[in-house]
Amino acid sequence: MKFRSLAILILWALALLSVSLLQNNYAMRTATMIAMFSTLAYSWNFIGGLAGYPSFSTAAFFGLGCYVGALGQVHGLSIPSAWFLAVIVVGAFSAAIGGILLRLRGHYFAVGSIAIVELCRLLITSIPGLTGGGSGLNVPLVRWSPDAVGLLFLVVMVTLFIMVGLVTQVVQRSRLGFGLRCINQNEDAAEMVGINTTAYKIVAYVLSAIFCGAVGAAYASWTGYIDPNEAFNSLMSIKVPVMALLGGAGTLLGPAVGSVIFILLEEVAWSNFLEWNHAIVGLVVVVLVFCLPNGLLRLNFSNILTLKPARRIWERV
Amino acid sequence: MKRYVSLISIALLATVSSAMAQEKIKIGSALALTGGLADEGIKQAVAQRMWVRRVNEAGGIQVGDKKLPVELVEYDYQSDGNRAAQITEKLINVDKVSFLLAPYGSGHTKITATVAERYQVPIISCVASSESVFNTGNKYLFGTLASLNSLTDAMAHLFQSKMPNTKRLAILARDDVFPKSVADEAAKSAKALGIDVVYFELYATGTMDQTSALSAMKASKPDWILGTGYNQDLILLRKQMSDIGLTAPIVSMVIGPAVRDFIDGVGPSLAENVTAVTWWHQSQKFTGIGPWRTSADFYNDFKKENKAEPDFVNAACAAAPIAYQAAIEQTKSLDRNKVRDALSHLDIQTFYGRIKFGQNGMNEARDMPILQVQDNEVKVLYPPAVANAELRRVDH
Amino acid sequence: MNTIQLIINGLGTGAFYASIAVGFSLVWGVLNVINMVHGSLVVLGAFLGFFFWKITGLNPVFSVPFVAVSTFLIGATLQSVFINKVVSAPVLTTLTLTFGLDLILYNVMTVYFTASIRRVTTSYGNIDLGSAVVPIDRLYVAIFALLITGILYLVLRMTSIGRAIVAVRMDKTAAALMGIWVKSVYAITFGIGAMMAGVAGAVSTLIYPVTTGLSGAFLLKAFIVCVIGGLGSIPGALFGGLLLGVIESFAGYAIGPQNSLTLALAIMLFVLLVKPTGLMGVKGFD
Repeated sequence: MKFRSLAILILWALALLSVSLLQNNYAMRTATMIAMFSTLAYSWNFIGGLAGYPSFSTAAFFGLGCYVGALGQVHGLSIPSAWFLAVIVVGAFSAAIGGILLRLRGHYFAVGSIAIVELCRLLITSIPGLTGGGSGLNVPLVRWSPDAVGLLFLVVMVTLFIMVGLVTQVVQRSRLGFGLRCINQNEDAAEMVGINTTAYKIVAYVLSAIFCGAVGAAYASWTGYIDPNEAFNSLMSIKVPVMALLGGAGTLLGPAVGSVIFILLEEVAWSNFLEWNHAIVGLVVVVLVFCLPNGLLRLNFSNILTLKPARRIWERV
Repeated sequence: MKRYVSLISIALLATVSSAMAQEKIKIGSALALTGGLADEGIKQAVAQRMWVRRVNEAGGIQVGDKKLPVELVEYDYQSDGNRAAQITEKLINVDKVSFLLAPYGSGHTKITATVAERYQVPIISCVASSESVFNTGNKYLFGTLASLNSLTDAMAHLFQSKMPNTKRLAILARDDVFPKSVADEAAKSAKALGIDVVYFELYATGTMDQTSALSAMKASKPDWILGTGYNQDLILLRKQMSDIGLTAPIVSMVIGPAVRDFIDGVGPSLAENVTAVTWWHQSQKFTGIGPWRTSADFYNDFKKENKAEPDFVNAACAAAPIAYQAAIEQTKSLDRNKVRDALSHLDIQTFYGRIKFGQNGMNEARDMPILQVQDNEVKVLYPPAVANAELRRVDH
Repeated sequence: MNTIQLIINGLGTGAFYASIAVGFSLVWGVLNVINMVHGSLVVLGAFLGFFFWKITGLNPVFSVPFVAVSTFLIGATLQSVFINKVVSAPVLTTLTLTFGLDLILYNVMTVYFTASIRRVTTSYGNIDLGSAVVPIDRLYVAIFALLITGILYLVLRMTSIGRAIVAVRMDKTAAALMGIWVKSVYAITFGIGAMMAGVAGAVSTLIYPVTTGLSGAFLLKAFIVCVIGGLGSIPGALFGGLLLGVIESFAGYAIGPQNSLTLALAIMLFVLLVKPTGLMGVKGFD
C-alpha cells in the first residue's frame, strides 16, 4: 500500500497528541520532545539520509531559528509572525551557505558543517547589543496556564512533525528524491546522467534547514530564555543524525522510530544512571554502528537469527 | 552511586511514610551535578543537603500544630538548560514538590523560574545576583544573594580611599550573565568616583588563551585590574597575567579568592594580595534563626562535616531554605501562594545575614565583605566591623 | 602594540597547537578517520601528568614516557577493537563512532577524576628581553612541542615502521601488495596519534588547567590547524599550528579575544573551500 507509511506517521502523531489526555504535564513534555527531535531527524534525513551528505549543521539552523524567533518577539512581532520570519531567514541562510559548502564532499563537508555551527554561535555572541551576547536573551512569555502552554507546544511540535513527514513522503516519491538517491550512490555519475546535482543538493540542504529553524523558534518561545550555548549545542548536531541512523537513514519511518527510541533511552538512562548519561549515549552510538549499521528498520531478522553479519550499507558496491 | 542509593532510600522512605499516612514537606531542586557548572552545583547540593539533615534532626519544620520532616528531591540537569526546564516540570508534576530551589547559573535560573511561575510555585535562588534575572516580573522568584550593584561600589570606595593614586581601571570580563554584570557595574562604580576605565573587553566562554587581551591590557598601564569569570577562567587569567609580566598595585578577581579553589588553583605566590569581594565571609558576626545560630556555628559545622571551609556559595545555599522555614512557620501552612506572600514580606536574621526580599525578589543590599589573600590566608578588609587587615599592594 | 610580544605569545601558543594537531592529522591522513576522541585523549594525558606531578612533585614533563606508553596502548586498543571495523566506512559512520567513544571516555574521566578543575601550580618566572617577556613555562611547552613533532617526523622518515605508515597513507592497496600488514599499521598509527595527544596533554598542564571541559576546545583547535596546515603532513601541522597561534595573538589584540576565534574559524572555512588539502597538504581525501 503506497500510503502505508504516511498512515503510520499520522497515527503516531495522533498518539503523541493523545498524551495530553493523561493529565500529566511531564509526560506531555516528553511527547513534545519526541515530536521535536523527530522533526529534526526528518530534516536531517533530507541532506544526510537521502543525499548522503554528512551534515552536522542541525544546531546551526536550530540556533538561528531560536534567535530570529526570539528577536522577532522581543521587537514586537506576534508569535506566528516571528516563527515565520525565522523560517524565512534560516531558509535564506542555508541557501547561501549551502551554495558554498556543498561544493565540498565527504570529510570536508562534514568539517565545514561543524564549523558553521561554531561560527554562527560566535557571531551571535559577538553582537551583544542585539542578541544579548553571552548573557542570553529573554523571550516574552506565553502567559497561559501551564497545562495550556504544554498543550500548545505539543500541538505545535506535532504539527511541524506532520509537515516534515509529509514533505518527506512527497520528496521520496518525486524526481527530487530520486535525484538525491542518485547523488548518494555516485555523484559524478548522477551529474553525467543529467541531474543538476548542485540545485538538488541545495534544495535538500534548505529543506533540512527550514524545519530546524521553525523548531528553534518554537523552542525559544517555549522556554522563555535562550543563550548561545543552549541554542548552538553541538551535541544536538550529533544526536540528531544518530537518531536518524538508528531508525534507518533515508527511509520513510526511520527518523521517527530512531528518535523515539533514543529519547526514551535517554530518559531511562538519565533517571537511573545520573552520572553515566553521556557514556550511555556513547554506548548507544557504538552499538548502533556495529550492530545496526543500516538502522533498525533495515534489520534483516532472518540474518540475525542465522547469525550472519549484516552487510554494511557502504559495502553494497 | 551514593546519590542513587540515597534517592532509592528517599523513595522507599516516601512510600513507607505515605503508607503510614505521614506528610512531608517536599522541596525540589534541579542541580548541575555534571557538566560545566558541576563544581559550583555540587557546592549548592552539599549545603542544601546539610540543611535538610539538620532540620530533620530537630524534628522538622513547624507547620501549625504539627512538625513535618523535609524531603529534598534532587535531579541532575547536567548543566543543560533544556533539561533544567524538563526537570522542573517533573518535580512539580510527578514528584509533587511544594517548593523549589533554583539551580546554579543565572540562565538556568531564568529557565526554571519561568516554569515555576507558570505553575505558581515559589522558587528561591541562592546563587543568582544579576538584575536581569529578577526583572521579568516573576512574583514567585526570590534570591538570597543581594544585587551585585553594591558589590563593586564598596570595592571602588575602599580602594580609592586606601590608595588615592588609583586612577586607571582595566577590566577583562567573561561574556556571561553574572561576570559581565559585575564588570558593567564596576565600570559604573569607578566612573562615579572619577576613575578612568582604560580597558574593557569581554572574552568568550571557554577561552583558554588570554595573552593577547592581557598584552593589550598591559599597554593601557592600569592601576587596578579587575578580572571576572568563573573559577577556571580566573585561575587562567591570573597565571597568564604573570606569564606576560602584567601587574598593577591592585588586582581584583570576582569571585576569585573568595573561594578556596582559586587560591589552591593559582598557588600561594600568585594568589598573594589578590583582592575580591563576596557576599559572605565566616568572620562576619551574624546571628539569627535556623539550624545554625551564628556564622561561626555554620562555619564550624560545615568544616566538621565536609573537612573544608565553606564559602559564600555554601552559605547562601544553606540560608535559602531557612527563608522557606520561616515563611512556612509564619503562615502555618504549605499553601504555595500563602508561602509566597510570606516570603515577599519576610524580614529575618540568619547566620548568613539579613534576608529581606525587595520588590523584585532580590535580597536587600548589604555590606559586602572585601577580601584579600595575605600570606596565604584570606583576610577581611571591609566592613570595618569585621576587618582584620589593611589593603596591601600587589608586587608581582 | 608590542609586536614582538605578540609574536612570541603567538609562537608559544602555536607550537602547542601544533603538538595537539599532529596526532590528529596523522590519524586523519593515514586511516581516513576523523578522530573525535582526540580532545579527550589530550585531557587524559593532562590528568595523568597532573597526578604524576601530585604524587612525585616532579615537573610533569618527566611524566611523558609513562603517559606516552599508556596513551599509545589505549589508542592502539581502541583502534583494533573498534575503529578497525569501520575503516572503510563513510565519514558519517566513523565520525559518529569516534564521537560515541569520546562520550564514553569523557564520562569515565568526569566520574573518576571528578569535575573539579585542577592545576599544576609550578611557577618558573619569565625571561625579560627588554621589550618583551618570555614566560619560561610557555618556553618549555613550545620547545617540547617542537621536539615531539620533530621526533615524529624523523620516525616517519627514517624508521621502517614510519615508512610503512607513509606507504599506507599514500596508497593502502599498494602497500598491502608490498607485504605491509595494513591492520597493524592502522593500530600503530592510531596508537601514535593517541600518544601524541596524551603527551601534549601532559605537557599542557604547565600552562593550562586540567579539566574535561577543555576537550572540546582542544579538538576544535586540532581541526582548525589540520585544515589550514594540511592533512597527514607533519610540517603542515606545525606550520598550521604556528600560523594559527600568531593569527590568534594579533587578532586577540586587535579585535578582542572573542572575535579572534571567529576569525580563526572563518579562515578555516575559507581554506576548506579554496584549498581543502590545506596549505601544505599531501594527498587529500574525499
